[in-house]
Amino acid sequence: MKTLLAFLKKELTEQLRSGRVLFLGILFVLFGIMNPAVAKLTPWLMEQLADTLAESGMTVTEVNITAMDSWVQFFKNVPMALIAFVLLESSIFTKEYRSGTLILSLTKGLERYKVVAAKTAVLILLWSAGYWLCYAVTYAYNAYYWDNAIAKSLSFSAVVWWVFGLWVIAFTVLFSTLCTANTGVLVGTGGVVLASTVVAMVPKVSKFLPTLLTDGNSLIYGQKSPEDYTAALVITGVTSVAALTVSIVRFNKKQL
Amino acid sequence: MDMLRICGLRKRFGDKEVLRGLDLTVPENSIFGFIGQNGAGKTTTMKSVLGLLRADGGEIFVNGERVVYGQTATNRYIGYLPDVPEFYSFMTAPEYLDFCGAISGMGKRETSKRRDELLELVGLREETHRVGGFSRGMKQRLGIAQALLGRPKLLICDEPTSALDPLGRKEILDILLAVREQTTVLFSTHILTDVERICTDVAFLHGGTVRVQGTLGEIKSRFRQDEYLLETDSEAHLTAITEAFPAVRRREGNQLILSVKNTPAFEVLGFVSAHRIPLVRWERVEPTLETMFMEVIES
Repeated sequence: MKTLLAFLKKELTEQLRSGRVLFLGILFVLFGIMNPAVAKLTPWLMEQLADTLAESGMTVTEVNITAMDSWVQFFKNVPMALIAFVLLESSIFTKEYRSGTLILSLTKGLERYKVVAAKTAVLILLWSAGYWLCYAVTYAYNAYYWDNAIAKSLSFSAVVWWVFGLWVIAFTVLFSTLCTANTGVLVGTGGVVLASTVVAMVPKVSKFLPTLLTDGNSLIYGQKSPEDYTAALVITGVTSVAALTVSIVRFNKKQL
Repeated sequence: MDMLRICGLRKRFGDKEVLRGLDLTVPENSIFGFIGQNGAGKTTTMKSVLGLLRADGGEIFVNGERVVYGQTATNRYIGYLPDVPEFYSFMTAPEYLDFCGAISGMGKRETSKRRDELLELVGLREETHRVGGFSRGMKQRLGIAQALLGRPKLLICDEPTSALDPLGRKEILDILLAVREQTTVLFSTHILTDVERICTDVAFLHGGTVRVQGTLGEIKSRFRQDEYLLETDSEAHLTAITEAFPAVRRREGNQLILSVKNTPAFEVLGFVSAHRIPLVRWERVEPTLETMFMEVIES
């Protein structure tokens, strides 16, 4: 346990001193502010565009903005934050392969699974902190300007999106142990998410796929209920655990 | 007791067979020079000992325990310095050693005591910069410090002096000599003068196997060919000797080499004395590592 904590401490120090924590902090707070800001600016934007719209035959009537518009923005922006997060952290293993820094740690008797565990833990920690910071900022602004009570199953919709992020992290870790360069990690992780999105177009299977978890809008508008997400949540959990297990097995035999 | 024993180690990369049944024994408390040309398989051998490479055949024992690829328990006996050691550039030297102590399960107090000792030994005590700004020589010295942290029974250094300037090389060799009391040292190199300066034992690696192995003294006596060197002050005297003993070989300067196999040394000395030839030098030729190595490669 002590050796795991020591490696974890090294990972956190690295994230801090390389400026990644600061960068992610700013990024997630900005996304958090952007959601209510875009919603708040919509009427003004419409007004500015009224003349152009009128020319094409559309009349702008009074635009009624609620917390819903801000939450819709939230679910639109969070994927971008996740992509930025994965891009930034995709080299968490591969840069150590490239520089050879792991060799010294491993020849000191550090068990290999602890490397996977510590790096996964740091990714989960950073994603969770960033995501919930973004959520909290949006929530606070929404509560100040409008009323969050209007959105149905709001906490649940936020939790499932967070779980989707964890699933992506599990695959980032998996591809980090399979590939040696971070292009491989990005292509692999992106490929899995893309495959899930494409397969989800078949209506019958979509409710089993992790991509369903990104559909927060249906939840807050009450088109879907939390029970509809059970199958997808179970499958997401199982595939995440499987990905991490394979990562550890694979990393134990990886040539460094 | 043997600290390291390698039996019949084989490794191929694609169609290139790098190691073809390599045998090696490193006795305890020796400074073992592992000599070979670039690409001879020195690094491959060392990485196999550390369980970083999966061997195609053969067995390796460290301190009597078998080495397993992947999760390698025998590494607790080993301190390793790679040819180009890489550290976390965001740490300072003391921070890195503390990290090494923590991941190898050493206690805090022991780590900090050992850390200060080693930083003193390698001359990085006063260094406060992060490792990212270190020179090659400084990295190499920090590399030795981290390798020695856990008081390993076997210190493996992969070409520790190859990339350094003469001063940096001397520093590293002095450190290796200084730690001999505490540990067995196995280091690979192609710089033969380094070997001659500090090694007790050597092995020549060529063509994927160890061609010759033993203590430096043993090997020298094996290669000693009972040759004598004779030097006089003038060309005329030399000619006189070569005419009398056609089997002697000329060397640069006014020097002759005679082998006792075909030219009895005392007869030559008798001739020299009878003809009153002034001798500048008369000595037994000791084989150098260079001549031995060349002989191994050419055989």
